[in-house]
Amino acid sequence: MRQPPVNTIARDAIKAWKITAALYVAILWLITIGLFWLIVEFDLPGWIGWTAAGISAVSTYLFIFLLPELRWRRWRYEVFEQEIYIQHGILIVTRTIVPMIRVQHVDTSQGPILKRFQLASVTISTAATTHEIPALLEEDASELRDHISRLARVDEDDV
Amino acid sequence: MSEAKRLHPAAIIFNFIRSLREAIFLIIFGYLTFSDTYFLYFILGGVALLLVLIATSVLSWYRFTYRVEEEELRIEYGVLVRKKRYISKNRIQSIDLTSGVLHRLLKLTKVNIETAGSGTDAEASLKAVKLAEGERLRSELKKGAGQETVEAQTEEDEEVVPQDQPTFKITFKRLFIAGTTSGSIGVVFAAFAFFFSQFEQFIPDEVYDTTMNWVIGLGIALMIGLAILVLLVLWLLGIAGTMIKYGNFTIVRNKDELFITRGLLEKKQLTIPLNRIQAVGVQESLIRQPLGFATVFAEVAGGSMDKGEDFSTVLFPIMKKEEVEGFLQELMPDYADQEEPFKPLPKRALKIYLGYATWPLLFVGAAVLYFIPQFFWAVLILIAVFLFLGYLQYKDAGFRVEGKRLSIRHRTFGRMTVNIYHRRMQAFEKKQHKLQKLQRLASMKVSIISKFGAGKHYKLTQLEEEDVDSLGDWYSYRKENEVPGSSAE
Repeated sequence: MRQPPVNTIARDAIKAWKITAALYVAILWLITIGLFWLIVEFDLPGWIGWTAAGISAVSTYLFIFLLPELRWRRWRYEVFEQEIYIQHGILIVTRTIVPMIRVQHVDTSQGPILKRFQLASVTISTAATTHEIPALLEEDASELRDHISRLARVDEDDV
Repeated sequence: MSEAKRLHPAAIIFNFIRSLREAIFLIIFGYLTFSDTYFLYFILGGVALLLVLIATSVLSWYRFTYRVEEEELRIEYGVLVRKKRYISKNRIQSIDLTSGVLHRLLKLTKVNIETAGSGTDAEASLKAVKLAEGERLRSELKKGAGQETVEAQTEEDEEVVPQDQPTFKITFKRLFIAGTTSGSIGVVFAAFAFFFSQFEQFIPDEVYDTTMNWVIGLGIALMIGLAILVLLVLWLLGIAGTMIKYGNFTIVRNKDELFITRGLLEKKQLTIPLNRIQAVGVQESLIRQPLGFATVFAEVAGGSMDKGEDFSTVLFPIMKKEEVEGFLQELMPDYADQEEPFKPLPKRALKIYLGYATWPLLFVGAAVLYFIPQFFWAVLILIAVFLFLGYLQYKDAGFRVEGKRLSIRHRTFGRMTVNIYHRRMQAFEKKQHKLQKLQRLASMKVSIISKFGAGKHYKLTQLEEEDVDSLGDWYSYRKENEVPGSSAE
């Protein structure tokens, strides 16, 4: 636990996150525009609109420009013969050890945005927890999935 | 026992009561809408509904059959849609017998059969069978034929427990102590404190004024008296509740299983296979700790979640702190031999604990100072109390590694000590934020399986970073991390 895991996730993850964030932030801007329209139409105090615009602007900066980069830089993983080692978190850095023999199942999934960049996310579940590696290259993801499920096939009958 | 059997006809009554309970809203709704104008229709509708309910109760009893065949429990049921459920013997994790008051009057029991599958309901539930039949079913369905099971009583309340098996039974005195120190007393204390502070506010007004105020004063005294009475009743109810729930609490170890029997009115028999126990812990609540009492509990994987049950399974509701070791020694030697002292937190963690304990109060304090400054002393007292709590949280937090067993001790209000084996941990986590990094502190989290397939997590915050790292090494399955001193597998 002293050294961080070595592998970074796919660089394109940043782009995928930015697009996802942009979609959400776009909704915020639409609401802001709507508010301004209401203010003009019904002669409401202007500060409501400016507050909304401020929130939208800050969100745009945070979620599109700042956080994806930081998040990518922090995200690390490493797959050992006996365990999976994951690190994530921007403000609170979390490092997790998941032993292979505790892995119950591994899922890969891919939404439309991840698909565009040929990325996929891998979810590793134990009987008590789930851990997600958010963006790996498709072939890395499926290779990792096969690798984990092969290693996890060690029989141990205590639940 | 290969022929299909029906439940005891009393199951009809249970079916009927349950469906009536489900239909009660319909009836009330019908009454509210139709009672004024179409009272006759309401009566007719009600009678029709009742008839339908009775008919379905009888039918579902008639359709419900069970048999043990080819190492399987086979249940067939369903009125409109026929369903069959086959449960393989060696998938059955536990068989619990519960007898409610009505059951006990008729010498019946309810059999709940659980498998490892997650879910909130029991896998199979036989609502009413003869007690002897329930016992027989249980011994027949036990994993591995020929295994001796506890031949428990067939007579009401006549517990025949073989002497050679380690057994712990609660005494009446202890049960009473458990009741008086149960959670409800906290509510009582809080309410008392509140009323006394209010009382003081009222006294000065009272002294100055005359008859009219005397009447008001009487009213207030009456109110306070009433409030105290209500609290007393609540407290007594708490005592009664605990005594009914844990009355006759008996725990027996039989080979690789624990049997728990408890309940004064509703009698419950639980079976806990030892290999499903994920962790064993001791809880000392704020009220019980100063008196030297503790509750022993276990985290058991899988199984169903009973109504009103806590997440953890109580292994013994109350015992003296120093009796715990002997109790574990007898019942679960794996979890006994807790000798080494806990490794405490570093000194510099204290200020973080104090900070976390009190910072929400700063807002409260600011608000009080602004709106009702005359009550500021109350906030100060509250801050002092929480500072003390923070100090206790700091002082009690710690961990200990003994071979392959990790023990974690921490406090939110009550003090919890949990012992978990290495192989029961599903994942290990180290967390650290910027402030902690500066202070070389870190937090850890261990996850285990708990009831109904969910995870349970034990956290310990503000440890020495070095300690968290070496715990990580201890947990790690990578060979190069094998720490000297922790025995290899």
